[in-house]
Amino acid sequence: MSWIKEDELNLLEKISANVLKAGPMPKHVAFIMDGNRRFARKKHMERQEGHMQGFNKLAETLRWCKHLNIQEVTVYAFSIENFKRTKDEVDGLMELAKQKFLKLLDERDNLEKHGVCVRVLGDLEMLPLDLQELIAKAVITTKSHNKCFLNVCFAYTSRYEITNAVREMAWGVEKGLIRASDVSEALLSECLYSSNSPNPDLLIRTSGEVRLSDFLLWQTSHSCLVFQSVLWPEYSFWNLCEAILQYQLNYKSIQKARDLHQEHQALLQLEADRACVAEHLQHHGNGKPADAQRRQEALLHYTTCREERIQDFLEALKHKRDSYFSDLCSKDVLA
Amino acid sequence: MALLYGLIWRLLLILVHINRALVSWVRVRLRSWKGRLWERAIAALLLPLALAGFPDHQKKLNHNPDANAVTGNRAASRRSRWLSDGRSLEKLPVHVGLLVAEEEPSYTDIANLVVWCMAVGISYVSVYDNHGIFRKNNSRMLEEVVRQQQDLLGVDGSKYNVEVLSNSCDKHQHYVVSCRPTVKVLSPEDGKQSIVQAAQQLCRAVENKERSSKDISVSMLDVLLRESKNFPDPELVVKFGPVDSTLGFLPWHIRLTEFISIPSHRNVSYEDLLNALQQYGSCQQRLGQ
Repeated sequence: MSWIKEDELNLLEKISANVLKAGPMPKHVAFIMDGNRRFARKKHMERQEGHMQGFNKLAETLRWCKHLNIQEVTVYAFSIENFKRTKDEVDGLMELAKQKFLKLLDERDNLEKHGVCVRVLGDLEMLPLDLQELIAKAVITTKSHNKCFLNVCFAYTSRYEITNAVREMAWGVEKGLIRASDVSEALLSECLYSSNSPNPDLLIRTSGEVRLSDFLLWQTSHSCLVFQSVLWPEYSFWNLCEAILQYQLNYKSIQKARDLHQEHQALLQLEADRACVAEHLQHHGNGKPADAQRRQEALLHYTTCREERIQDFLEALKHKRDSYFSDLCSKDVLA
Repeated sequence: MALLYGLIWRLLLILVHINRALVSWVRVRLRSWKGRLWERAIAALLLPLALAGFPDHQKKLNHNPDANAVTGNRAASRRSRWLSDGRSLEKLPVHVGLLVAEEEPSYTDIANLVVWCMAVGISYVSVYDNHGIFRKNNSRMLEEVVRQQQDLLGVDGSKYNVEVLSNSCDKHQHYVVSCRPTVKVLSPEDGKQSIVQAAQQLCRAVENKERSSKDISVSMLDVLLRESKNFPDPELVVKFGPVDSTLGFLPWHIRLTEFISIPSHRNVSYEDLLNALQQYGSCQQRLGQ
């Protein structure tokens, strides 16, 4: 029931992994681990048992990802919508989470050996306080590890995440750290819970459902989406290979779309900066239209200042988030 | 060793492409073979009766239905067939998104899809491609939809008057205002960019001390993103093309959207769309529970 499984791949799996690695590999894979309850029904077990099997499968999947050099994995463990389930089931899931995070803290030496950094993304204030404290401990303990990254989305929905990012930017404006005109797509991305990770290259959903269910909607706009009908607790190495192959088939066209989008973003930013500079020159100029050189200098100066402002704001945001976790930890120490 | 793996990988990719090409070839052949088989069966059954006028009968079978003098009747029967198809579905989406992930879109085929959607009873249809081509050629899209409407639904297609909305320009091309099927042409600007614009609006309000950052909620952002047009979220997105990605389509609005893929929008048939709608009908949304 451990987080880390240390077995090697068998010969056939090793060969297939090497074949796949000859092509472009995703660096960040996201999983919607759907199908635990259906699996439990199918095997005539309790729901809770289905969720436990689901966790085991997660540990195994992380092992496969390590062998495939997939450095970062994000999983959808608990949605804010799941609070709507029966009290029994929600309590059961919270209890399971507590056990798993306790186990994680037990295994901290092993985690350090493998360099696993665990992050938890979501509106964590919605969770019971003792679970929040455990999460804070787990996050702080593994913070400095940097070989591979596991992001667990708990009490998470994408809309809440985006709204929170907007709220943080508004907080930045309130504190005078940034201006409303600094708000851009890039800045919003930096304010999401997932700001420490690149966007997922591949999103896999199991159990045959073909929707995103409010998961990483912003981050997966240009990701490869693979919907597989296998139930999560039955997920196999070959299912993962199939998904990666599909990623490889889509690689060129998605890369092209991403590049197009990035070009467009850069253009929009340049236009926005120019507009701000033009307004500034109009207000502070002496009535004469500024020449091209002066405009260029002003643009460069404005862009530099804007980037500095944004860096300061992001530092303040990081500090705010780190304090949330360290406060929870110290509270536990004092208690 | 790495070279060997590289070769095997390339071989694997080629095999997958061949497999896909075979599958789509078989699909197309099966469809046309089934069609011809049906016509042949009818011809065979009617052969004894039509022996005398056989050449005439063959001509009738091969005759282009649109050139027929009873076009009006055919359009009416098509309309009622499509409407009953819509009614027979377990559930019908209120808003369908058509996501074209192919280069060089075909306006006729898209217009066909739009008209079929409306005929089946879908109230809102949006059309999207990630290059913004549809948005740039908004008026051409509209003309094509109107033309297909008349072709497929007949002169009495006025029941399905279309309201085509375009966001970036201030003028809306209204045809009829209330309770009509509405078509929206979308581009990547309607996705992340409109979320950023809503965020800027809220931040400006905070800058002007009209609002506090703590007031910002999911429902507030949702209202801003829905603008005044009150388009519901798409329940279904039909994706055309080989790319397995949403390519920036309305990230905020697709949280519960079902994604169904059709290999290509070129020469797409009504049956393809109906299959997708039937597949949608059998999806079960548990909404977190």
